[in-house]
Amino acid sequence: MTNCDQFREMYEAYALGALDPPERTALEAHLATGCAECAKSVAEARWLVSQLAYLAPEAATSDMLKGRLMQAVRSEAKSKSSSPVVTAASTTSSGIPYWLSAGIAALLLLTLYFAWDAHRLRDELRAANERNQRTEQLVASAEGEYAATQRKLAVMEEQMAKMHRENAILTDPASVKIMLAAQKIRAPQMVAMWHAKYGIVLTGQKVPMPSGNRVLQLWLIPKAPGGKPMPAMTVRPDANGNFVILVANPPVAGSDTKALAITEEPAGGSSAPTTAPKWVGAMT
Amino acid sequence: MFLAAFSPKDDRKASPDAALVRLLLQNDVAAFEKLYDKYSRIVYSLVLRIVQQSGPAEEVVQDVFLQLWRNSAQYDAARGPFVPWLLTLARNRALDTLRLKSERQRRLENQTDELFSVVVAPQYEKELDEKRRAERVRSLVGELNPQQKRAIELAYFQGLSHSEIAAELKEPLGTVKSWIRNGLIRLKEGLRTAT
Repeated sequence: MTNCDQFREMYEAYALGALDPPERTALEAHLATGCAECAKSVAEARWLVSQLAYLAPEAATSDMLKGRLMQAVRSEAKSKSSSPVVTAASTTSSGIPYWLSAGIAALLLLTLYFAWDAHRLRDELRAANERNQRTEQLVASAEGEYAATQRKLAVMEEQMAKMHRENAILTDPASVKIMLAAQKIRAPQMVAMWHAKYGIVLTGQKVPMPSGNRVLQLWLIPKAPGGKPMPAMTVRPDANGNFVILVANPPVAGSDTKALAITEEPAGGSSAPTTAPKWVGAMT
Repeated sequence: MFLAAFSPKDDRKASPDAALVRLLLQNDVAAFEKLYDKYSRIVYSLVLRIVQQSGPAEEVVQDVFLQLWRNSAQYDAARGPFVPWLLTLARNRALDTLRLKSERQRRLENQTDELFSVVVAPQYEKELDEKRRAERVRSLVGELNPQQKRAIELAYFQGLSHSEIAAELKEPLGTVKSWIRNGLIRLKEGLRTAT
């Protein structure tokens, strides 16, 4: 048996991402030796696995998504051809406040502890696994629980990050407050807080419910002459007319934005406004 | 990276998709729109099947296509066809979302690795339109026994490992491994004989 023989049955599962850690590590270590035969087989297995995408039921994207994407791409193309502009992606990857770093570090330590603990448990179970099939099932069960724990941790971290982001936007003095006044309707003002790094939090209270299944849609109006409104987010208020939404990655920078506007649009939103703004607020 | 040393023989003509991707290097917005119009449907269908909700699915699709726009220089047509590469990228992003992997976690991992994944189409593969390709794959997987199909779907659409699938289906680990491998081999053989 050549060295490659022991890996032949793993190519497809590796490409699928289904190998358990010990087998995956062994195959990756072998690939790292530069074995061209196995590398080619894995690459072909990736093609085979990619064909499984066609099992997904067909679904159509919304016009709003294309509109948003094309505006972002056109904007970046223009920026690249003129002066360098900081993109939304790079602004979100910049510095994190100390308190947030400390919280994340604590979570990381906790995650590392669970990883170490689960790794130790897996090693013990693997030894028993070689003795009989029953023990092998215990390993599967333990790894399932480990994965579930990891998912719970990921959920906690995600929720914490979102909470911190909203908190940072609402409390950081660097955030810009924008009051959106109702236009030709009797309704309270809405309040938006815009932070250059963390995004926008928009809150509304006692907002009249849009008719039918229509939604309220937030638009960012660019400063550039002739700039088209950029679709940002849609929302339906709750039964009391209240809502809070977070736009983590606004499609245009605050410094390039003249005003925010809210229109009523069909469910799913629109790529360009189809009604007159119901609320408008200028950037200060 | 060791995979860079592996350069599959490119005995096919440069595909129209590869030509469009090359135009992205020149900030060609029209080329980007053509790629989006051609593949956004299959990418969105895949991502929606994984994350199950239209809002997060649209965010993932936007992320995938923006990544294509911003990192087109990192796609090397000599190392594999475009569509499987795009679908692999979309699946990874969608599974990250499914696992609620945070932006920070993604930064901690080397996310650029997946941009360099080598995907090689076998010699028997032909250029087929998306509709015929979908029909062929669905027909072949539909012929598998239901448990076998379920195991493959759990791995592909939910990102579960052999052990996790065994726990989910309450079946022995060895059985699950055989189901998945034999199912994919049957798919491969079916695709080979169908061309």
